[in-house]
Formats: sequence, structure tokens, C-alpha cells
Amino acid sequence: MKSSFAIGAVWLAIAAGSYSQQPNQQKLAKDPGPFLPGFGSEQDKPSAATAGPAPHLPDGRPDFGGNGAWYPGFNGNLAETKWKGVKSADRHVDVPFLPWTLQLFNERVGNFSKDDPEAKCLPVGVPRFMFDPYPFQIIQTANQVIFVFEGDNYLWRIVELDPKGRHRANLKPAWLGDAVGHYEGDTLVVDVAGFNGLAWLDQAGHATSDKLHLTERYTRTDSLTLKYEVTIDDPGAYSKPWTAYNTVHWRPGMELMENICQEDEKSSIHMIGNTKK
Amino acid sequence: MKRRILLAALIAARAHGEANPDLGGVWLPDHAADIGAKQNVPFEPLAKAKFEENSGKTSETDARCLPPGVPRIMLMARPFEIVQMPSRILFMYEGGGHVWRQVWMDGRGHPEDPNPDWLGHSIGHWERDTLVVDTVGFNDRTWLDDAGHPHTDKLHVIERFTRTSPGAMQYEVVIDDPGAYTRSWSASTTFVFRPGDKLSEDICLDKISK
Repeated sequence: MKSSFAIGAVWLAIAAGSYSQQPNQQKLAKDPGPFLPGFGSEQDKPSAATAGPAPHLPDGRPDFGGNGAWYPGFNGNLAETKWKGVKSADRHVDVPFLPWTLQLFNERVGNFSKDDPEAKCLPVGVPRFMFDPYPFQIIQTANQVIFVFEGDNYLWRIVELDPKGRHRANLKPAWLGDAVGHYEGDTLVVDVAGFNGLAWLDQAGHATSDKLHLTERYTRTDSLTLKYEVTIDDPGAYSKPWTAYNTVHWRPGMELMENICQEDEKSSIHMIGNTKK
Repeated sequence: MKRRILLAALIAARAHGEANPDLGGVWLPDHAADIGAKQNVPFEPLAKAKFEENSGKTSETDARCLPPGVPRIMLMARPFEIVQMPSRILFMYEGGGHVWRQVWMDGRGHPEDPNPDWLGHSIGHWERDTLVVDTVGFNDRTWLDDAGHPHTDKLHVIERFTRTSPGAMQYEVVIDDPGAYTRSWSASTTFVFRPGDKLSEDICLDKISK
């Protein structure tokens, strides 16, 4: 009895201690600044080509393809308009962190994202591929929308079209999740579920849990511009759903090259993070 | 009976001006682990030694989650999906690292000095009802099959895809590698059509990374 009281008292002390360091009272980590001087300044500029109207397929659906590829450029933080010295997402968002995701975000920023799965050649997943500096293409068939990526380890992603939004049975935890989509006018809407909770939403380090559920909206507003909206609904990581925005530019004539990340991957084990703590 | 239905379908397709067979959808290869098993493989001595060294081992590509290369990626017991467009045909593979492959159908040739790739540079054309894919520009790090038949960066692969019935595709591959074999040689397997199947995510690195 005595000992259980003592254990209870210790537990209370620990709980009170950790409560007083409530990560909710932590300040959000600031932009660490440019990580490579000049990075992103040239490569992320939109194409110099003149935009025409958004193309459509013969059956009236929006056409996300053509002779070229989409290129997001480097957007390191999907909740900030500027990150690491260059343009990031389209809009600032006050992210409704849960205490653990705020703490983890701050740790990751403070540690220069040294544990980023992408550095180990793991998939960046969804929605990060729309914020990452690798080109991709979208191919539309009658019942699928296919994404093929040059970066992120030369992956493919298949969105099954289904207006009823039915996911496959027995979803397994995955990096890319299970995606079902439909068209709403000129917008492709994709519902994604079945995540493994390991992916980072961006390079900065917004975390996910395996409760992550995404609603993505793709709209080609003119021939050179793809507007992207993603609603992040993850009760395991955030207190309410929130939405991030980005604009992705068309690169006329661009073709995708094979890119095998782990071909000579020798660097991630040497990343030590921030030594000036 | 099935053949007659296919023939009718082909004739109907032709009547509508769609000249080429439709290979689109999910296919499952009949696993061909050792393409040299039933023939006298025309090894160069170095390739023979390499093959014996590889025998019974795990390939570097499997151990490090690198792409299996061509033709091995077509011979594994893992499904893949074909998406057919007039100017390009895509292959998406469930096994071998979740990679994809593109075959250019727009009449272009190979680049003069192609990059040494894992899956090479592929161009294709139709010979009647057969898709013929010509690939060069390989590195020398993959195996041709699970058994460990090696190749050099001089590898040139010709693949022939023929949908012999609605449910089956014949796959023939010619290996032309003057760096490893004294003459070109060939192998074949079949793919079974899996209508309604969906590819799953299998990220090889999940098994080896921390």
C-alpha cells in the first residue's frame, strides 16, 4: 500500500512536470534559413512559355497531361509561404498541432530534418510529392488517373476512379495510401486513406499518424498551371482538419528520366543534425 | 472458342480504326527463375565464371532494393500493370521497388549515348499484333533472371509481347550482349491477365531501412 502510494506520487510528479512543459506552450520553430545559398532561385521559376486555356479531353474532362511534365520546385513547408529562403506553399496556415506533433516538428526543424525518410530513399508520399523538387506526369484513362514520378525513387501512383469513393477492402498501412478519385467539373478530387504514419508531410517535418486521411483537389487553371489543395484530416496528429495549398508549374516538352535514389545512397547515415544545441 | 472471340474482337477493333491490340491492365507472369535452364547458354568465359559465382546467391539488387532490370522484372512472380497510349506504353511493377518503365512509341530512336540505367531506354513498335520493344542503355549491375545470368553494359534486349487470347500474353525475349555471350539467345514465358486486380504498395526499403 505504502509503495503503491509512493509510485502514485512519483507518477503525479512526472505527470505534473511534463504538463508544465506542455508542448502546446512551445513556440513554433522558426525558418532555419537558406540551406544552400541561391538554391531554388533559378530552378523554381515558372516556364517562360505563354499560358493558353486549360486543355480538356474529348469527353470534356480536364486534361492534366500533354507533352511535358509538372514541376513543383522546392517547397519545404506546406504551412508557410517562405521556407529556407525560397517560396514555399501558397498560403500560411496556423497548423492545429497536437502537443506531440508540435514537439516533433520543432525537433525536426532544430535537427535540420536529419531523419527525413526521403534522405533514406523512402517514398515522400502524398501530399509531399506536390511540394517536392521532382517532376511528375499525370496520365488519365477511363477508370484511373496515374501519376509517374521521376524523383521519390521513380515511383508510380494509381488513383482508381470511383464516384462513390470506395476504398479497397482491408487497407494496409502504406506510404502512398489507397487513392480513389472522381471529377467535379474541372477538378480532380482524390480521397486517400490507409497510411503508415511514417511519412512527413513536408521537408520541414510536419508529422502524420496512421489515422491520416487526405482530400486532394487538382485543378488545371490554365495550360501551364496546376492548383493543388489538400485537406489533412489526421486526428492522431492534429486537433482539426487543415488545408494546404500549392501551385505547380508545367514544363513544356519535359520528359522524365530514370532516377534510382538508393543507387549510391551513402549519405543518410552520416547526417548528424544540429551540433550547436 | 476463346480464340474465335478474340479474333472477332480484333476484327471489330480494326473496323473501328484501332489498329493495335489492347494490352492494358494487370498481368501476372509465370515465374521464370532460370531462363538458361533448358538450353545451352552461349557464355563468354568471364560471364560463365560470373554466373557460377552468382549461383545460389541473393543479387545486389534484391539485397539493396535496387530495380531488378530487364528482362528480370518481367519474369518475377509479381503483377504489373500496362497502360497503353498512342505515343507511349507504361509498365508499373508491384515488385522490384515500385518502379515504372516507359516504352516510347512515337517513332524516336535511342539516344546516341544513353545514360546507363537500371531499366534502360526502350522504344517500341507494332509488328502485326505483336508489340516489339527494343531496349539499350543498361548499367551492368542487374541479373537477367533470379538464377544470376549476368550481363554487361553492352546489353541489348528485344522483347515481343503477343496477346494470344483475352486471358494470356506470350512474352519472348532476345538477349543480345556481345560483352557476355557469344551470340544472342532467347527465352520466353507467359503472362496471365488479371482483370479487376489492383496493384499493391510494396516498398522494398521498408524491409531494410531503419
